Amino acid sequence: MRRRGALVEYPDIMTDDVQATRAPASPSRHLAGDDVGIVRPRDFTHAGAFTFKSGQAVPGFTLRYETYGALNATRDNAVLICHALSGDHHCAGWHSEGDGKPGWWNNLIGPSKAVDTRRFFVVCSNVLGGCQGSTGPSSTDPATGRAYGTQFPFVTIRDMVNAQKLLLDHLGVAELHAVIGGSMGGMIAMLFAIEYPQFTKRQIVMASTANESAQAIAFNEVGRQAIMQDPAWNNGDYPREGGPRVGLAIARMMAHITYLSDAGMDRKFGRRKRESAGGESYTFDAQFEVESYLRHQGQSFINRFDANSYLYITRAIDQFDPARANGSLEQAFAPIQAESLVVGFTSDWLFPPEQNRAIALALLRAGKRASYAELATDLGHDSFLLESAELYTLIRGFLERSETYVFDFAI
Amino acid sequence: MSKLVEKRTVDMQVIGEWVEPHSRVLDLGCGRGELMAYLVQAKQVSATGVDLDFGRISACVGRGLSAYQGDITAFMRAFPAGHFDRVICSRTVHELDDPAGVILEALRVGSALTVGFVNHGFWKNRLDVLFRGRKVRNAVYTTPWHESRPANPLTIADFEDFCREKSIRVARRAHLLGDWKTPCPVLPNLLAGYALYDLARA
Repeated sequence: MRRRGALVEYPDIMTDDVQATRAPASPSRHLAGDDVGIVRPRDFTHAGAFTFKSGQAVPGFTLRYETYGALNATRDNAVLICHALSGDHHCAGWHSEGDGKPGWWNNLIGPSKAVDTRRFFVVCSNVLGGCQGSTGPSSTDPATGRAYGTQFPFVTIRDMVNAQKLLLDHLGVAELHAVIGGSMGGMIAMLFAIEYPQFTKRQIVMASTANESAQAIAFNEVGRQAIMQDPAWNNGDYPREGGPRVGLAIARMMAHITYLSDAGMDRKFGRRKRESAGGESYTFDAQFEVESYLRHQGQSFINRFDANSYLYITRAIDQFDPARANGSLEQAFAPIQAESLVVGFTSDWLFPPEQNRAIALALLRAGKRASYAELATDLGHDSFLLESAELYTLIRGFLERSETYVFDFAI
Repeated sequence: MSKLVEKRTVDMQVIGEWVEPHSRVLDLGCGRGELMAYLVQAKQVSATGVDLDFGRISACVGRGLSAYQGDITAFMRAFPAGHFDRVICSRTVHELDDPAGVILEALRVGSALTVGFVNHGFWKNRLDVLFRGRKVRNAVYTTPWHESRPANPLTIADFEDFCREKSIRVARRAHLLGDWKTPCPVLPNLLAGYALYDLARA
């Protein structure tokens, strides 16, 4: 029998619906042998002035981050994990014994997992401009004592990269064994490889793009308009607990659809109705499960995300276009020394396979070592978070292969 | 080593002799990367492979090779003329949808093209069909028709005709007997089990 009723019962792999998924209640799940266990976020504060690409500056900034595993003696086993639009620094492990949900990429990262924390020093930080502990529009401007709001400098992917490089320097990382990211995280990974070519040895770019399509920009714009047309936005000047909650929730509901796929939604919800909807059809209350699911997504999002951060980060994603900045994507990739692995997903219509292929092809045209693999899934853009043995094998193979070629005749 | 694996090795060695050290090589239908791994090791080439299957790409990546999952014609169209020093099409040509299109495109993106294929005009294959009246099955084609991928078997004579028709220059030929090792001195279409051609634009 199909499970009905409470939304929290759906198995879920969404990027960031923190409250939507409840892990099976088991008191010792955080002690599972292949999990990193209880983890604690930390803050890195850069005390000096930081100038953004726009020319604007802040007197200093903080990045909230987590690390798993240990940096080795040669300080070259670090793997940087880069989150997507609404993700955060908590990508693996649990925050407490009673924690309802592990980090967002817990299935990938841990002792003996594809990103093996016995071998690698894994670092993940909330991006600059974010709102999960890193400095962003909701942070206090020391000059005024109030939140920056729209006075915060415009953030670009490059600013996020430069800030994270300062964090890695602080942690004593001599070089990145790999930088891994999905969606916006893939943009950060690409720019790490471009901006710090000697530092970045490998990059894995998943479900990403080297420049968003008009359609993707359009979706971001609708989200921004939903926020900015909400009177409570007030030109970005709103109290911490208030703000454009309606606009932000609508932006999230709409964006969430773009992370799924038609087939995936059909499989997950179909036309099923909520039990509580009863037989009453002539009402605008949520009747279909997909409706209440999206409403829940919107509601849980406003409790953890800042509307101004949403504006800033979607803008940074829209602006990302290394080809335009360098004449062509090949020229943009010219400095890269990293080996690259690009992964696309068949049902991703936000950053579709074609756009992921374009990244791999440009790398190859630029004479770089690059691979492209494509997984058939029906989970849409969020597929990169998929629990897939095939994906794990691919990533582990890329990260752990020996430098010397072992020639065997295995067929 | 099984007979099949042994034959694979022979194939690799002949191709290896033709490949220039440190050249840029594209392997069409790269499988799990056996040939590329060999060429990287023996000739220090920079190799890229193309194949359709995720598992094979994953195997290549695990070996430290560059591999691209996708259609080989679409892949080649993304590259400027002469981008690769050599394109290799080893035991893939009979499975292509549009062999002529692929070969001509490979000659555009590559300065040279190596094609290796099983000669279905080999006398054993002929007798097999004549006396057994069944699809050819041997150490290379092990599966019955209903477990095989669509194939377009060709002979050395077919291939020679094709090159003449398309004005493709044959720079080198290697015709090997049924053991895929001993050079075939005469009547290759009848006596050779395997053929390798090194092609260039006319």
